[in-house]
Amino acid sequence: MFDKILFATTASPICKDAADVAFDLAKKYNSQLTVFHVFGLPTHGFSQFAVDLKTGETEVHDDDWVERVTAEMKTTFADNLAEAENCVVEAVVGAPHREILRAAREKDIDLIVMGSHTRQEDTGATRFRTVVGNTMQKVAKAARCPVLIVSRPCQTCWWYFSNIVFGTDFSKAAQSAFKFALQTAKQIGCKLYLFHACDIGPTDPGKVRTQADIEEKVTEARKKMEELYLPEMEGFDNYEIEVWEGTPYVEILKYARDKQADLVVMAHHTREIDPEKAVLGSTVEQVVLRSACPVASVNRPDKVAAS
Amino acid sequence: MPEGSLCNKTPVDTMEQLQALLSDRRGVTYYQEMDQLDVNKEALATAIQNTCKSRIRTWLEICAHCGLCADACPYYLVNDKDPKQVPAYKIQSTLGEIVKRKGEVDNDFMQYVMDTAWSKCTCCNRCGMYCPFGIDMGVMFGYVRGLCFAQGFVPWELKIGSGMHRIFRAQMDVTQEDWIETCKWMEEEQEDDWPGLKIPIDVENADLLYTVNAREVKHYPEDLAEAAILFHIAGENWTVASEGWEATSLSMFAGDWAACKMQVETVYDSMKRLKPKRMITTECGHLYRATVLEGPYWAGYESGQPPVECIHYVEWVAEALRTGKLKIDPAKKIKEPVTYQDSCNYIRNGGLGDIAREIISYVAEDFREMSPCREHNFCCGGGGGLNGIGRYRPQRDKGLEIKRDQILATEAKIVIAPCHNCWDAIRDLEEVFHIDISWTFLKPLLLSMVEVPEHLKPAED
Repeated sequence: MFDKILFATTASPICKDAADVAFDLAKKYNSQLTVFHVFGLPTHGFSQFAVDLKTGETEVHDDDWVERVTAEMKTTFADNLAEAENCVVEAVVGAPHREILRAAREKDIDLIVMGSHTRQEDTGATRFRTVVGNTMQKVAKAARCPVLIVSRPCQTCWWYFSNIVFGTDFSKAAQSAFKFALQTAKQIGCKLYLFHACDIGPTDPGKVRTQADIEEKVTEARKKMEELYLPEMEGFDNYEIEVWEGTPYVEILKYARDKQADLVVMAHHTREIDPEKAVLGSTVEQVVLRSACPVASVNRPDKVAAS
Repeated sequence: MPEGSLCNKTPVDTMEQLQALLSDRRGVTYYQEMDQLDVNKEALATAIQNTCKSRIRTWLEICAHCGLCADACPYYLVNDKDPKQVPAYKIQSTLGEIVKRKGEVDNDFMQYVMDTAWSKCTCCNRCGMYCPFGIDMGVMFGYVRGLCFAQGFVPWELKIGSGMHRIFRAQMDVTQEDWIETCKWMEEEQEDDWPGLKIPIDVENADLLYTVNAREVKHYPEDLAEAAILFHIAGENWTVASEGWEATSLSMFAGDWAACKMQVETVYDSMKRLKPKRMITTECGHLYRATVLEGPYWAGYESGQPPVECIHYVEWVAEALRTGKLKIDPAKKIKEPVTYQDSCNYIRNGGLGDIAREIISYVAEDFREMSPCREHNFCCGGGGGLNGIGRYRPQRDKGLEIKRDQILATEAKIVIAPCHNCWDAIRDLEEVFHIDISWTFLKPLLLSMVEVPEHLKPAED
């Protein structure tokens, strides 16, 4: 299903949950796994200096430093690496999201796996959280392959997943997310929940929505789901369609919890929103931060059609 | 020991040399070797004989030691008015001595010259504006750097930087393949949000030929995407060159005159090959100085003009706003107090102060001038290559204080800095002093407030 997986990591125990999923997936699907860490941000103009993203110290970017970081990574993930067969460990300097996207493009990656946030008690947690949050947001938006974001321990192995929730906003990007969700459900043989939340947030100040209005919207959305997605099922019948109303991210989280989802699949497209300001701004972001299960963000057809 | 393996009089022309320098952590061995480096006095005397012409010799002689340059120099002001920071003293005690002694100087002296030329002068040319005789110590230190470079007395990072230009014709290790690949990548990354957006490569007779700074390509390719989006919105007929795409010049900072010529000629060749109506630079100050103001002389053009008309990015922005090619949504103009960092290279030396103000009138509601400003503005603190030199970090950081105080006095929260060096220096300034400001290039700012014509918006999903 995934020939090449890129595990983008902060190379600290923080990413343990994401690491377990990445290594598990690679093992199951015999994928080539790249453990990829951007450890320094270029600084001091054109010079060779970079700021260590963990400590905030300025260092010269050279082979020694890369070796040291790579060795650290190997220690951090020693348990995982011991069992991994087809795996390389890479450490680079650059703007994290940019280098992750660059590597994904160069290596023709089929799936990016990332953690989403850090724990308060870790050194440099605040600095790190901003970097990681922004990075995830930017990677999820621009990546051409699915991005799997794991922020909490994943209780079940991917191939034992029982419930996948696909949240849609009917966008073009969501079409790719749907394909990915469907393929995954077919592969694993689990149930697929197609879900939409009608946004009844305060978008039109002063306008009060009546129950009838809302119900009409819900019915419309359900019809749209049936039209859009059912013809694509091709014999797959282990699915359910649901439409709720409310604030989209809240409803998706509630629904995922209700259905004991093992995976949430969504499209991440926040065209209007400045990624710097939208760390917590988009629906995907909110879902990722709060979701108990991994979240896959899929925006583009490239790697979905192939897999 | 006359010549070290790393620190020597030979410029970097091969990957092996470059790699050797890069693996010398922080240039430790390099600077140790420099302590042993012999001065080739004969060569130095000959260099002065051949290259120190009447203008500089006159300047050295007519300096009346009046001291009017002192208060013009940010390093004099910020270092408690240390007399050793008076520009006239700095140049007389270095170049003046070399000329007087006809090159009879030793290693210690050359190291003093190097430290002065790179850590006490950013070639901002402000002193030249205040000298009653028009003596420009910035210009002279540019010349001194050339003498130092030829003798092997050059900061480690700049030996590397000029080597990059010699090997890659770019200030960083970005090959032509990397560059073209990055253009394609950025085009693809934007295809959903900006249908039809192209980064046209090698289109002949375009209206604009866009040139960049290799650092954008290497670390921040978004900048290229942003440029493309703005050209797209403005409906420009533009192109980039597959060769001669990088117009900066660390070799100018290094004093590597031969590399300056090599670099700028690749850019001029691309102009001759593609015959654009105009060349437009990215938001970079020294690029403008190197390719537009000084380059023609390096390339030996008697007209003093590049092959085609060249404009700085700010000139294009002002023009696009003036003619309505770019329209700003008035509701999105910056409301917070904002100030503008006037770059020495394109404002003081390029005369674009009015252009910058014109742009501001379209994008900001509460504009605060720094004092002094425009062509009188102080260097950001990181010019002339100083941002990138580890050896002079303390001197650089000290120099930032003057910019910090200027910004604080405006009470602005945002500093618009359409120059890579200024942008870096102000970013570092925030890192050093934490004064709670943000800083930005023009491109992201414009993108946050420009009106997008309906036909360019992606079809509704």
